[in-house]
This record gives sequence, C-alpha cells and structure tokens, in this order.
Amino acid sequence: MKKINSVAVHSVPDKKTKITVKLFGFILLAAAILSLPTRAVSQPPLYQKCLLCHGRPGFKKILPDGKVLELFVNKSELENSIHSKLHCTDCHADVMEIPHLKIPGKVNCYRCHYKDNPNGAMPANEFFQSVHGQMVTAGDPKAPRCQNCHGSHNIQKVNSPLSTVNHQNVAYTCGKCHKPQYDNYIQSIHGTALLDRHIKSAPTCTTCHGKHLILKPDNPESSIYPLNVINVCSKCHENKELIRKYNIPGGRISTYKESYHGIADEFGSVRVANCSSCHRAHLILPESNPRSSINKANLAKTCGKCHQNANINFTKGKIHVNYKSKSTGILYYIGMFFEILTVSTLTLLFIHILLDLFRRYKSGEIGGKNKRGE
Amino acid sequence: MEDKHKTAKEKLIEELSRYAAGVLPDQEGKELSEETKQLIRNEAIKDLDAFLDVKIKNIHKLIKNEQALKAKLDKKKEWQKDTFQRFNIYFRIQHIMLFSSVIILIITGLPIKFPNSAVSKFVMSIMGGISTQGILHRIGAALLIGFYVFHTLYTIFHKDGRRDFVQLLPKPKDIKDVFQMIKYFFGFAKDKPKFDRFSYIEKFDYWAVYWGGIVMVGSGLIMWFHNLALSYFPKYVYDIAREAHSDEALLATLTIVIWHFYNVHFNPSRFPGSLVWWHGKLTKEQMIDEHPLEYEKIMKGKEGKNV
Repeated sequence: MKKINSVAVHSVPDKKTKITVKLFGFILLAAAILSLPTRAVSQPPLYQKCLLCHGRPGFKKILPDGKVLELFVNKSELENSIHSKLHCTDCHADVMEIPHLKIPGKVNCYRCHYKDNPNGAMPANEFFQSVHGQMVTAGDPKAPRCQNCHGSHNIQKVNSPLSTVNHQNVAYTCGKCHKPQYDNYIQSIHGTALLDRHIKSAPTCTTCHGKHLILKPDNPESSIYPLNVINVCSKCHENKELIRKYNIPGGRISTYKESYHGIADEFGSVRVANCSSCHRAHLILPESNPRSSINKANLAKTCGKCHQNANINFTKGKIHVNYKSKSTGILYYIGMFFEILTVSTLTLLFIHILLDLFRRYKSGEIGGKNKRGE
Repeated sequence: MEDKHKTAKEKLIEELSRYAAGVLPDQEGKELSEETKQLIRNEAIKDLDAFLDVKIKNIHKLIKNEQALKAKLDKKKEWQKDTFQRFNIYFRIQHIMLFSSVIILIITGLPIKFPNSAVSKFVMSIMGGISTQGILHRIGAALLIGFYVFHTLYTIFHKDGRRDFVQLLPKPKDIKDVFQMIKYFFGFAKDKPKFDRFSYIEKFDYWAVYWGGIVMVGSGLIMWFHNLALSYFPKYVYDIAREAHSDEALLATLTIVIWHFYNVHFNPSRFPGSLVWWHGKLTKEQMIDEHPLEYEKIMKGKEGKNV
C-alpha cells in the first residue's frame, strides 16, 4: 500500500490530488484493519444462548425409562475444539426452538463432511463397509458413529494431542467399548511402549485393525484375518530402522515364513498358527515376562492349544529357527553337510554324464556322423 | 541235341502246337495250311505265356510268405532262447512301488520346499490346497514305507533277494571299473569295463536309495507324528528332521531326474526308455554289452548242466 502511495506522489505532484490520495490510502488502511479481527474476538460466541442451560454443570434429564441423559456442555472444551466457530444448530440441525419440543436426534456429520468435500470428506465408503458402519446401517442404537470416537464438543484434529483419536489416545477411546481388549493392550509391550514410555512408533489399536475400515477377523479382507496377520506384524517387525532403533528381535517374519506354520499360511491355511496364535493378539509380552504366552514356563500350554501332548520338549530348541545362522548349532552343520553332499554328488554325476556323451559323440553314435561302419 | 537246349516251356509249346495241328484236320477232314498252323501256334504261345506268368507269380508270393513266417518264428524262438530274466516279478513290483511313491512324493513335496515359487502355487492349487497336499504326501509316504518293508522281507526271505544283496555290496572291482570307464570315455581304453550282475552305476543307485530311505522315512515319520515325537524328543530333534528331510529330498530328486533319467531314458542307446522294468528281460546282445561277466557265468552254468 505504501508503495502505491509513493508512486502516486512522485508521478502526480498536484496538492489536491495528494490529499485525495492520502485520504484514499487511509480508507484502505482502515478497511484492512477492520477486516483483520475475527468474529470470535469481536462478537460474543454464537452458542451463548444454548449455554444458558447446557453450560450449567450437572444439567441433565431423567428419561421416562429412568435413564439419565447428561446434557452438560463444557464451554472451554467447545471453545478449544476445531468446531469452535460453528453454531450449535450447525450440527444440532433439528433444534428449532427453546425449549425443545422433542428430544433432538443424533448429530449427522455427513451434513458437512459429505462425500468428496474438499475441506474434509468423511471416508464413507470405508466406514460403511466396516463392522461399525454395518451396525449403523442395520440401525443398531448402540452402533458407534463418528462422534463416538472422534468426540463431539471436544472434537480436535487427529494430530492434536487433545484428540480422542490421536495415536496416544485412541486406545482409551476404543477401550470405552472394548474393555477387555483395552485392559490387555495397556499391559502388553505395545501398550506400555506407547502409553508409559511414549514411543510414538509403538502400535495402537488402529495400527493393526485399521481406522475406518475395521473388519471382523473372519473376513478375508480384514487386516487381522489369519492369513493377513503376518502382513500387519511385518509392518514394524520387518522394518530394519525400527528394529535397530528399539532393539526389537529381528528375523521373526523370515523365520516364521520358513517354518511349516509359515509355509501353510503362505498356501492359505487358516488353521495353522500365525503370529497372534502364539504371541496373543492384545496381551503381547516379551519372552522374559513370566506372564508371557511365550515364556518357557507357558510355552507348553501355548503350543498345547493346537498340539496334543505338548510338554516341556517344546521349549528345548528355538521356535523361530534360522536354518542359515550359525547360532542354531547342529542344524547349521546338518544343512551344510547336505549342501556339500548335494553339490559334490551332482557335480560328479554330471561329469560322468558329460563324459559319456563325449564318448558317444567321438564314436559317432550321436552328432550326425556315423563312424560305426568304418 | 537241339531238344536238350529247349526249355520246358518251349517243349510244351511245341507239343501243344503239334497236337493242335494233328487234331484239327481229323475234325475238318482236310489238312490245314501252313499259315493257319502258324497262327494257331502263335495264339497258343500267347495264352500259355500269360497263364504261366500268373502261376509263377503266385508261386513266388507263396514262397515269400513262407519264408517271412519262418523268419518270424525263428526270431521268436531265438528271443525265447536268448533272453535272460534279469528281474523277477517281486523285483519288478518293488520298482513300480518305489517309482510311483517317489513321483507322488516329489510332486506333493517340492511346493513345500519352494513355497514362494509360482509353479508351487499352481501345483498346490491343482491339488486343492495344503490339507489335500498333506494327505497325498502321506499316501506317497505310506507306499514308500510299504516298499521298504517289502524289500527288506524280500532280501531276507527270497533266494534272489539274498543273492542280489550280496551282489550289490561294493567291491574293489567297482573302483577299478570307474577308472576303466574314465579311460574308455577319453579313448585311452578300447573297451568298457566288464560288469557283473550290477555295474557300479546300479550299485550307486541302490545304495543311494538305501541312504535316502533311512533319512527320508526316519525324518518323515518324526514330522508325520510330530505330536507323538515331541512328547519324547526335544524340539530341536524335530528341526533336525525337517532340515534333513528337506535337503535329502532335493538331493534325491536331482539325482533321479538328472542321473537315473539319463541312464535309463535320455542316453542315446536307451532313449526314450525300455520296458525292462515291466517284463524284466534282457536280450543276449544287451546281456553281453551290459553284463558280460554275468552272461559268462550263466552260460558256463548252462554248459555244465548240458554236459
């Protein structure tokens, strides 16, 4: 703006014009300043009226069937949420009058986050395929909707530490419905790593189960379908950087794939053991932990889930066997013995065959020229 | 003198024309002219020629057929006289059991050894998945174990079995034979080594199956009955069995496909294979070529009997 003025001054030295220009500049400046402040600062919050009732702590309604409906809305939560600039009725669109003639319905996020909305589309395809979305479609009143996970008045961006679906918080959110799984998870090595030691790479519910497209374990499309479990685990346990950084035992996936369990899994057997069959799905603990399913004391019981007569012998020897590593001792040498035996035997036999063919060629039996008659 | 030089045919023509010339005047009552006589003579020659040609051709044909039939019979007699029953019926049944079980085991087993190959996935899908594969592999295994039991009993209780086992034991001559064979390959020796009933090649095959059988059946049984095995042995015994089974399987497969198939199918004098595994017989030529020492022994034995 300054630049425009100075240019105007230099080009037009007339006094009258100078005043006009200064005035014009002032008006522009004023307009700019006036347009800068947000509505929030200059105007009272749009939800002031609703909070007359809903802002009172303990505001609730007792329904005819005796259920208590908590109706208190925490103002500070609302002000800090990503929707702070919206009016209550933007979401509660069915509220027309005060007092409400009928109980307002559940908020439908799809009103704004419709499909292909460039400013935030709801992943409708994924969600409605998922086990949660199917419940919503089926009209289950307990079915989890967007707000059950993402929060309602306290909704935040996913990467905000306050968000209910933040990597750190999502387990707690899931645990509100999936209590036993949550209890197991927070004790597991994954749970303690993430929640106690604050290792951000540690997995939470969504790392394995997916976010919106959560499917039942018996669905072949599911990330935790028996045949797919190995892919989920290998996301981290095959990741060399993570293995090095957090000192995770390596070669777990490759050794599994070499085992009969891994081979049967590769060929589509859902009966055979996958990672979670032995390590458990939620209460995954390191071998050293006496509560771990793969602790030597518990191994016979773990193997016994499938193998009858499983006893202490199952603990004598490695489970994840790397046949090519010297650390497996006798196995390594047996492999080497057979390798030498195979290579040397076949080399000798092959030479014998070649010499035989050579002789037959020389004597004219093969190769076109028949010297036999000569 | 002239008459002597005339052929039988010419004589016959002479006779015929004389007869024609002599008979006809009696019927007509007058002598025929020389011209007419000559005409009749010519006609008779023509007819007779044609008649005799056909007859001679037929006779030739008959003789040919007779000769061919005789040759055929002679050949058959010779084959019967000069074949040698190399393998008896028990031996042949054992071989059929062995190769059918091994073919089943290789087809069903290799996909497990190479699970990531596209061929393995294709074979596995044809078999109908890993559970069917497991059943088929165990059927093959049962057949192979059956073969080993049969062979052990045959070796102990049958005269031929005991004889063959002794003949199959390695001897210093086998090493000499190997060197002789190498010399022959390079042209330093004119003749192949003279083999007895079993050449060093056949002995190698036999003992390879012996060694392979112990490894494969032993380790295979541990894996088949792994729950039982693991209630007596530690897990690393199972791991050893698995490693040995997998490695020995590859060795055996390669040996069969490269070595045995070359010796009995792909080598130029055998291609595409013989039926010895079915009838168990060798001809005299094959005996002399492949097992000259055994042939000599047999012939000596026969002579001894005849005398």
